[in-house]
Amino acid sequence: MPGYLRGNAWVFEGILDVDWEICPYSLVRDLQRKGPITYEELGRYCMIKVDPEFPNKVRKGDFIVAGHNMGYGHDHDHACMAIKGAGVGAVLCESAAPYFLRNSIDHGLPVLEIPGVAGAVRQGDEVEINLERGLLHNRTTGATLTCIPFPKFIMEIIEAGGLYPMLRNLVAAGPRRLG
Amino acid sequence: MGKTITEKILARAAGRTELTPGTFVEVTTPCPTVIAPHSAMDKGAGLILEWGARVFDPRRIKIVDGHYGATASHNAAENRRIMREWAVVMEVPEENIYELGRQGIENMVAVEQCWPLPGTCYFQGVNGHISTAGALGAFASALSYGTAGYLLRGRTWVKVPRSLKIVVTGTPPAGTCQRDVSEYILGQLGPSGAVGMVLEWTGPYIDRLSMDGRFAICSQALFTGAWTAIMNPDRTTIAYAQARTTEAFEPLVSDPDAEYAAVREFDVSRLEPQVVPPPKRHIVKPVREVEGVPINRGFIGSDANAWIDDLRLAAKILKGRKIKRGVILNITPGTVTILKHALDEGLIRTFVEAECVVPTPNEGMEWGANTPLATGDVCIATAQTNYPGRMGSNDASIYLANPLTVVASCIEGAIVDPRKYL
Repeated sequence: MPGYLRGNAWVFEGILDVDWEICPYSLVRDLQRKGPITYEELGRYCMIKVDPEFPNKVRKGDFIVAGHNMGYGHDHDHACMAIKGAGVGAVLCESAAPYFLRNSIDHGLPVLEIPGVAGAVRQGDEVEINLERGLLHNRTTGATLTCIPFPKFIMEIIEAGGLYPMLRNLVAAGPRRLG
Repeated sequence: MGKTITEKILARAAGRTELTPGTFVEVTTPCPTVIAPHSAMDKGAGLILEWGARVFDPRRIKIVDGHYGATASHNAAENRRIMREWAVVMEVPEENIYELGRQGIENMVAVEQCWPLPGTCYFQGVNGHISTAGALGAFASALSYGTAGYLLRGRTWVKVPRSLKIVVTGTPPAGTCQRDVSEYILGQLGPSGAVGMVLEWTGPYIDRLSMDGRFAICSQALFTGAWTAIMNPDRTTIAYAQARTTEAFEPLVSDPDAEYAAVREFDVSRLEPQVVPPPKRHIVKPVREVEGVPINRGFIGSDANAWIDDLRLAAKILKGRKIKRGVILNITPGTVTILKHALDEGLIRTFVEAECVVPTPNEGMEWGANTPLATGDVCIATAQTNYPGRMGSNDASIYLANPLTVVASCIEGAIVDPRKYL
């Protein structure tokens, strides 16, 4: 079912900075010297400043649950790449830093701002998300929360795996000039 | 119920009568978009070439070489070559290319040329400090990773933000300036004070401020978690725009009964010069708490304080004096236009006689591309950020301050309260 995700929750506290807690910028700079970086490479550094074992423990499709100001700082998209590369299916937070939200969705990683999520989801809970309806259901506790649904033009990006995979398909199928 | 200027601008850009905060919409703009050689390929411009595709309208792309200056580092020569090749294939008009000798910091060139128009959205490739353009009554955002998506289709998506209204009253005392106003207020809001919101700056202090001062204040939104900043256009804004553009525009303003996430009021009549010590961006202190810290490097520049007013403030204290031996002070005017004004006013002569370094306009020292810092250097700067490694070595320290404090500290070789020089 498109837009339906299910996984276990990994809860993190406090402000998560794109250049530190989520994925240290100095490591990215070192990697960049060797050439273009993949999602998987960055995934190995995901959240290691908070939990060094996170990349080994998280399973594909699990969720990161956070409070306010998820993805604080500069518009550096290596953080979104690290989260996606670690296999996380979506980020669920009270509020997201705006460039983290934009970059994540453009990378095909859903970020949902869900008021009350930090109080309604505990570490390890099994959670279901419906992106198109804007619904979160905590299967472990039975709690349900709502949020703003993803419209069609956002779902197109998510379903293609990101903005550029989506655009590549459009360009391949159609005219040279899209706009 | 009333709407904010931001809600009205986004509704117009989305072709809707009104919008609900938190929802997603697709938007367009009549304004051009700036991309730059240091970042364009990272954000997908190269993919357009690779796919054999074309940009939606090459006349609406401006290429501004604003980050490198004369640097030999950061792969500047090669990136410059790649950018020009791309521009030729995409048929970007030559007059849209602002190469070295015609250049400036991207955000500053954009508002100097009045590419953002009151009442519109304005998008730039990278750099969240494009919030600068909000002072023109435009909703300004970077496209970041999604840059090439916009270049291909001429539209992008936004999640409609709420606004936080800031009301500023009072006249800051001598020795303090707009930099202190914004650092103090943003420090009070804190790193999570306005997550995802638009900072709407209002009040008699803003009304009296020059456009340069307004641009500078708007440039610093992101340290509170805010997306961008905006100001309601007034006579000053309209006069500025009409002197610089022949494009038609229709300004929008917030309704008196618009709804805000919060309204915060600040009286700045007793403000002191502020300093942001390393390594955290959000801990803001009065200068007296860090006086005496030895420094050996200084920087006046970046889109926070590379305006002609900032250069005039610096010259006021530097005239007839020299900086301390062992100190290097880099003063970088923001654009070629500002450099010309500074030459006309004799400011550059004052800087050179004071033994300062005056590079060609660019972002330069702000991100380590000009006069970088080495291990153990302690720099006082009007830069935007102070995180370790920003200006070169991870083992250098950066203190942020207003231009007067920077200059006074470079004369003494230690952080000082600039008011003793006034």
